[in-house]
Amino acid sequence: MSYRNRGGPLAGIRVLEIAKVWAGPYAGKMLAMLGAEVIKVESTGALDEMRAYGGVDIEHAPYFLSHNTEILSVQVNLKSEEGLARLRDMVARCDIVIDNIRPGAMERMKLGYNDLQEIRPDIIHVSIKMYGNDGPLGYQTGYAPCFAAIGGLTYLVGEERDVPRGMNIRYGDATVGAAAAFAAIAALHHRERTGEGQFVDVSAVETMSTLIGDSLFAYNLTGESPQPDGNFHSELAPHGAYPCQEDGWIAIACGSDGEFNALARELGATGLTEDSRFATCESRVAHCAALDAILGKLTLAHDVVALGEKLRAAGVAAYPSASSLALVSDELLWERQAYRMVRNGNGGTRPVVGPSWRMTPDEAAIECGAPLLGEHNDYVYCELLGLSQEELRDLVARGVVT
Amino acid sequence: MSAFTGFVIVETAERVVGEYASRLLADFAADVIKVERPGGAPTRAMGPHVKGQSAVFAYLNTNKKSVVLDIETESGRAGLATLLARADALIDDHDEGWCAAHALGSAGVAKTYPALVHCVITPFGQGAPEDRRRAYPINISNAGGWAYHTRRAASPAAPPLKGAGRFLPAYEAGLDAAMAVGASLWRKRRTGLGQFIDISEVQTQLSRADVVLGRILAGDDEPSALPTRYDMGGPAACFPCADGYVYLFMTTRGHWNGLRTLMGDPAWAREFPADWLEFYCTPERVEVFRNEFAGWIAGQNKVHVSDEAQKLSVPIVPVNTGVDLRHNAQYRHRGYFQRLGEAEYPTVPYRMSGSPVRLEGEAG
Repeated sequence: MSYRNRGGPLAGIRVLEIAKVWAGPYAGKMLAMLGAEVIKVESTGALDEMRAYGGVDIEHAPYFLSHNTEILSVQVNLKSEEGLARLRDMVARCDIVIDNIRPGAMERMKLGYNDLQEIRPDIIHVSIKMYGNDGPLGYQTGYAPCFAAIGGLTYLVGEERDVPRGMNIRYGDATVGAAAAFAAIAALHHRERTGEGQFVDVSAVETMSTLIGDSLFAYNLTGESPQPDGNFHSELAPHGAYPCQEDGWIAIACGSDGEFNALARELGATGLTEDSRFATCESRVAHCAALDAILGKLTLAHDVVALGEKLRAAGVAAYPSASSLALVSDELLWERQAYRMVRNGNGGTRPVVGPSWRMTPDEAAIECGAPLLGEHNDYVYCELLGLSQEELRDLVARGVVT
Repeated sequence: MSAFTGFVIVETAERVVGEYASRLLADFAADVIKVERPGGAPTRAMGPHVKGQSAVFAYLNTNKKSVVLDIETESGRAGLATLLARADALIDDHDEGWCAAHALGSAGVAKTYPALVHCVITPFGQGAPEDRRRAYPINISNAGGWAYHTRRAASPAAPPLKGAGRFLPAYEAGLDAAMAVGASLWRKRRTGLGQFIDISEVQTQLSRADVVLGRILAGDDEPSALPTRYDMGGPAACFPCADGYVYLFMTTRGHWNGLRTLMGDPAWAREFPADWLEFYCTPERVEVFRNEFAGWIAGQNKVHVSDEAQKLSVPIVPVNTGVDLRHNAQYRHRGYFQRLGEAEYPTVPYRMSGSPVRLEGEAG
């Protein structure tokens, strides 16, 4: 049974999402984008903060509408014993449970992995916490920029000997959700092979560390710990963003003499190729500060889009550094359906950011945006759990469904 | 034995992004056969080299097998065809022109190997104009918007920053590729059929910004050329302390009350409105706060002050270096680093009770 037949590789998989804000819901969204049926557990007494941010009513909250694409919503009062009993019935009908609530909160509701296993022995429980579920720091909580700081990214972003700038403050949650979604898929395969479910304990901070895995590994080998390095690259030069007209920036990287010669030619600076400091990739890296200073003066006179086109036509990897304005007005992105138009539960249509993939022949349909609170109560309580309309009305009247 | 035991995956990928995608599957015991050109994969040339081996290559190619095939030749392509005939998935990250020239285009592969999951990762996806088919990671982080929105130094000459390390956008897209391949292998278990997966590295960057970019896309926030467009405002930042840096995140009255207690309720803090973070968070006030807080935090130890802050529900955390992480008690507890041969490898952020990731074979 499913609410809607959307196709996609994970069609037939059902996920219960007891998650808030960004990382957990992003994991749910990834699985939904792949065709799984994802049911988000909500209640008026413990709303997802994303329904509140933005200062409008909970059915028109910009943050919530931006990422709960193709998610179903069921209301359950988790402070009521009867609500928890109904939630357990839902667990019995799901393959995967995702949670990212405070450490210990699932256990207090008798929804820890052991409890879930009693309800459904082959359940897959994906639990996302800042530091993971146990261990000396497992009790700690935080927000995405904290993950990046603890996980080692923040320290590396910025210029040498400057206070770290860090990744953008919004960076991190989504990646954690993606890692959790991948692990959930691996767990499905394990279940298929062995009949066993499992507990998947995701650490947000380790997810960040994995994004610099090669640097951490190299440090273990060489003893030289990674340091903040601006836009430096040990093997590519030039490698950076260079100023253009009207505050534009163009990101240029050269990995060969051919690319560097083409860059110099297109910038009308063939003298660069005769300068002994820039004769080989190695020497360009060694003199990259001098090279950057020269290039920054040469690019300044150009329009960033036109310069990108000209350099790429000559075989140089050069792309404008995209502002939000550039991103939402990029024709190629619209053509490829990087952005999708969806119809929200509130009746409005809205563009949302789609997944990074296209699939042929079996891609999941992406048509419905974020749900209304409890939009799918009927489906979950009556069709999945088999209650009558009257029984559901009674649960609503008694505040079990709220 | 693990989650992907029994699946054969051929890797013709030659960039970090594709090698990482199949490593994530090899972690779970998929039988990954890496096809290398004569002379070896290009990633073998990436430094640093330790005892003659690339650290990047060693990190990306654990648990894989490697075969050398020259697919520029007829016999090499025949060898690849033999591999593909018994494979469940093919992971590639070359541009469309290269794929077509080596009989690895999507339509041809789908026709010859209908049961194969074929994933190709490219900067802008299939069908992108010729001039948008080659990009280094720094191009991707800039074209995808995150670099433009990194917090720059105050000088107008300060450029957008690439982000941490050399390959972050590649790891992001590799993760999406592994996810899409894993899901399509699930479908293959059900239907016996393969499919083609087209991953865009730039779109992975957009997807990771869904909540921020989605609001701009829908007109809740103005699109603009402001480098601060993704920001939240407020006092969050890194601050120097006695033994490095801490990161402070603070958005609520609860955080502020906790912080005042942590600092011993200094006189300057009492002059701030109790709800300044919610309602009176002006740039001037943020500036005053940062100056005063910087004076206090400068004398603190990063781990100690973070632990004390946690007790008061204040999100102050240490800005960890590679050295800190290597010795981190929590990472040790979870076994994030695994020993294989003579080296310790960072592994994966998901600890699995039934099918844990085990590094068993070093890169050849």
